[in-house]
Amino acid sequence: MNLLIDNYLYVGAIILFGIGFMILLLSNNLIKKNIGLNIMDTSIFLLFLATGYIRGKAAPIIIGGVMDPRGYVNPVPAGLMLTGIVVAVSTTAFMLALTIKLYEKYGTIEIDEIQKLRGE
Amino acid sequence: MHYQLLPLLSILILMFHAFTLPLYKRKKMVYRNNLIVAAMVFIMSAVSLYFVAQNGSYVFDIGHYYQPIGIAFRIGSIEALIAVLFSFVYGSIIWHSTTNLAHEISESKISTYYTLSTLLLASLLGIVYTYDIFTGFVFLEVNTLASCGLIAIKDTKESIKATLKYMILSSLSSGLVLLGIAFLYAITGHLSIPFIHEQLVIQASSHQNLVLISIILFTFGVAIKAALFPLHVWLPDAYTSAPTTTSAILSSIVNKAPIFFLIKIFYMVYGFKIIQASHILPVLLTMGAIAMIMGSLFARTQKELKRMIAYSSVAQMGYIFLGIGLGNALGLTMAIYQIFAHSLTKSTLFLTVGAIIEKTGFKTIEDIKGIGKKMPITLAIFTLCGLSMVGIPVLPGFINKWNLAIASIQMGKLGLLIIILASSLLNATYYFPIIINGYFGESKLDATVFDTKSKNVRELAPLFVLAFAIFIVGLFSGTLIELIQKDFFTLK
Repeated sequence: MNLLIDNYLYVGAIILFGIGFMILLLSNNLIKKNIGLNIMDTSIFLLFLATGYIRGKAAPIIIGGVMDPRGYVNPVPAGLMLTGIVVAVSTTAFMLALTIKLYEKYGTIEIDEIQKLRGE
Repeated sequence: MHYQLLPLLSILILMFHAFTLPLYKRKKMVYRNNLIVAAMVFIMSAVSLYFVAQNGSYVFDIGHYYQPIGIAFRIGSIEALIAVLFSFVYGSIIWHSTTNLAHEISESKISTYYTLSTLLLASLLGIVYTYDIFTGFVFLEVNTLASCGLIAIKDTKESIKATLKYMILSSLSSGLVLLGIAFLYAITGHLSIPFIHEQLVIQASSHQNLVLISIILFTFGVAIKAALFPLHVWLPDAYTSAPTTTSAILSSIVNKAPIFFLIKIFYMVYGFKIIQASHILPVLLTMGAIAMIMGSLFARTQKELKRMIAYSSVAQMGYIFLGIGLGNALGLTMAIYQIFAHSLTKSTLFLTVGAIIEKTGFKTIEDIKGIGKKMPITLAIFTLCGLSMVGIPVLPGFINKWNLAIASIQMGKLGLLIIILASSLLNATYYFPIIINGYFGESKLDATVFDTKSKNVRELAPLFVLAFAIFIVGLFSGTLIELIQKDFFTLK
């Protein structure tokens, strides 16, 4: 139990990942799928950032002279996740654009209704 | 001569070229410059291969920041070979597309189409060359977005739906890969491949579960993108509803790059010992074997020609995973050899089928009986590819199956021989009827009017080049396998 509380960032990230994953795969609504995808991506960002974060240390921005290197947190995960966020934003935008297109063509954004339309 | 610059230069040229394409006013310029750039990249890759084969592999640091801080490319003989393959196949498909793309998508979208396809090639080369897993992830995402765009550009009901399906599964797969990278970073604190490997060798025993989870995440993330059997659901829709050029690009090179990335992760990041201890290889072996059988069984039941070839792709991807899963040197070599064999044959198949569909307007296998009388050369090229898929000697399909069989005997897994043989025979059951009915069947096509009897030489030239390359890959398989084995197995 203590292990879980001490690593609450990781635990939260994994729970969020599970939620996002399930919404992405099981939800029928494309907007909800998109939300699920975003939750999943965000959980990964949280996990990644948690690996670089140490409580009580400063961000590596130099103000008034350099401190001891041990006073800073690792900036690399934050930098990587900026890239990750850019990627996630573009994916989301593209998916939303496709959703609009799909709505124009089929008149619905529910996957099961589209499957029904196809069966007719 | 700084031949080390060539791989980076080829990617930069492609990226730059991609964004200048929409600026051209005349369509002719778009076609011409696109071909020139594709040829340039092919020549650069070939020159790079020549020097690598002479001087051995090297690591190229980008922007004078050295690893682990900077990002780097690693170019060995396999990377150089695959880059040559990708640029060659891409170039031939683009060459072919100059005559038929305008029939399938609207005129105004052609330069956008080429922008996306050029970016796609750049990202694929990036995945092949990268020596840093995060860069690999970013290129994978570029690859996903570009290939989704290439399917959706046809703008029909089916293609939009197929794109969404592909997009959702691809996002899932890149999410899994990113999570895998996060775990590896948590264990080792590095992203560049040699440094992760160094740390993993020391620390793997104390973080066994984390290492195992990250291996599983990478494997399944890549398996979705590469359409391994139970995860292939996006593939048939995407290939069938896309324009012919896209189907050819997607089936030949787009789903090969993630597999090569997986091979890199397995043997460069983890190393053979950790992979062996994780028992992931038997899982891949089983899934690959199932894919070989099930893909062919599904292909047999299809009525649509393009869909049948798409399912045949699922079966062929099974061979690659089988080769990786065998876990010995010959198996892995054959997995890489199959990348060559399948890229060339499947792109040619899609282009020939696209030509048949374009000329006749028929999509189903039933309707194109007797096509051999109208389009003998096109069907002859189709026959060549079909024979390679079935495994007739000299053609690459045979060499691949033969060596996979030898590799399974080496590993003492004799049951696999039956699966390889069965898969081969199943391939024959759906390729031969088309060929036989095509040449000797009663034609329903007499009633239809053709603009010309067959495609003219200018349209067929790219297909001849690809068919010739299939022969070369088959005939000189010894040299190719030697080159593949040259530096990869000194890595462990």
